[in-house]
Amino acid sequence: MNIHETSIEEISMLQLSDSFFPTGMYTTSSGLEALFYSNRKITDADQLCNLIKVYLEYQIGPADCSALGNSYEHIQRKDLQKLVEVDNMLFSMKPIEEIRNASTRSGTQVLKCVNSFITENSILDKYREAIMDKRASGVYPVALAVCSNALGIPKYKAGLAMLYSFTVSIVGAALRLGMLQHFDGQRIIHELKPSVSEIVEKNIGRPLTGMWQFAPDIDILQIAHERMSSKMFIT
Amino acid sequence: MSSRRIPRLGIGGPVGSGKTMLIEQVVPRLSSRGYKAGIVSNDVVSREDAERMRRTLATEKGLISEDLVIGLATGGCPHTAVREDPSMNISVVEEMESKHRDIDLILIESGGDNITTTFSPMLADYFIYIVDVSGGDKYPRKRGLGIESCDLLVINKIDIAPHVGADLGVMERDAKEIRGSKPYVFVNCKSGQGIEDVTEHIIRDVLFESPPKVAGRLGHR
Repeated sequence: MNIHETSIEEISMLQLSDSFFPTGMYTTSSGLEALFYSNRKITDADQLCNLIKVYLEYQIGPADCSALGNSYEHIQRKDLQKLVEVDNMLFSMKPIEEIRNASTRSGTQVLKCVNSFITENSILDKYREAIMDKRASGVYPVALAVCSNALGIPKYKAGLAMLYSFTVSIVGAALRLGMLQHFDGQRIIHELKPSVSEIVEKNIGRPLTGMWQFAPDIDILQIAHERMSSKMFIT
Repeated sequence: MSSRRIPRLGIGGPVGSGKTMLIEQVVPRLSSRGYKAGIVSNDVVSREDAERMRRTLATEKGLISEDLVIGLATGGCPHTAVREDPSMNISVVEEMESKHRDIDLILIESGGDNITTTFSPMLADYFIYIVDVSGGDKYPRKRGLGIESCDLLVINKIDIAPHVGADLGVMERDAKEIRGSKPYVFVNCKSGQGIEDVTEHIIRDVLFESPPKVAGRLGHR
């Protein structure tokens, strides 16, 4: 691969992980809004940084990142059936309806957007058909794997892009809730870089049978969010 | 436009300008002509508008089924949710389209926002921007993308114009100057004055005077 091709691949990675890319993630707080309105307030940036690490280490890493890695392998083998299997497995591992819906809505729209400029990619077309036929749900990590592959972004970098985007979405929600200042947000993102990298490395090759997530306190926050009558975020 | 796509009407405007009430006035008039609408209501910090419309239009009047009113949060960015990144809105609208093939129109209400709000053409085929007279008669003169570019400008609360020092003649003159030949309508969403005009615009310019999908349908019940 020459330097020009590498640059295109890296720019594509920047494009997919840019908060301006239309995924709708700016509407999600992943339960942070419920925490904000509870009596367990986060009082400083370090606490938020630690909370994001919990999300990454116990939810997004072993479940979403692993699903992305498995999907990527099946995409390269053009194995739609196995890809759909990963989609169904991850969907079933998301117990909170708001979180499930947000993931599938982001996933289907990312596919649609990338398909508007990558028009000849058989696995992308077939996965979209599977979603329309209700055989797959279009969860975001699987959709992102399909789009990353279509844009020539390698598996590991696709994982980095996903965890980075998630981190930015939580920091963005915290900023809009007034939990921290904008420089604090960038400091948190900077401090989380080693964790993002390590968690992707640890989980991107995890087999489907080893996928897990266990963050009951976060699950409860996300359930509490579903029950809030007045809210700014969809999750 | 694909054959699956149901006509979509976006309604934007500042907080308290009357977006929800405009929908509550228009939907019964459309229903009396046999047209069935679905509603996606974006709210900045609550689901109050969606819950109110579900109660007034579905539960109490039975004009549409309750699952045809969906509330959506916008992450505090109402303009982004209908313009720069309408992903969540498009997703919800597509879900509604696939579940309810018999509806004639989908109304998408933006969260209350500023005068630069516009709708992505991928989300809405037609865009109504509503302002009210309570801020005085400086609008539409102050312009803003919403006022300038919408397909139909609706000026609400004309009954209180004398009490807030708003000159409707000035507003009409400025609307003509700013918008050229594009239409505007003066309304009072409380009394229903002017709403028939808005309904006619929708039937002519959004539905292209197509007959209702289900012949002889009047309301949900």
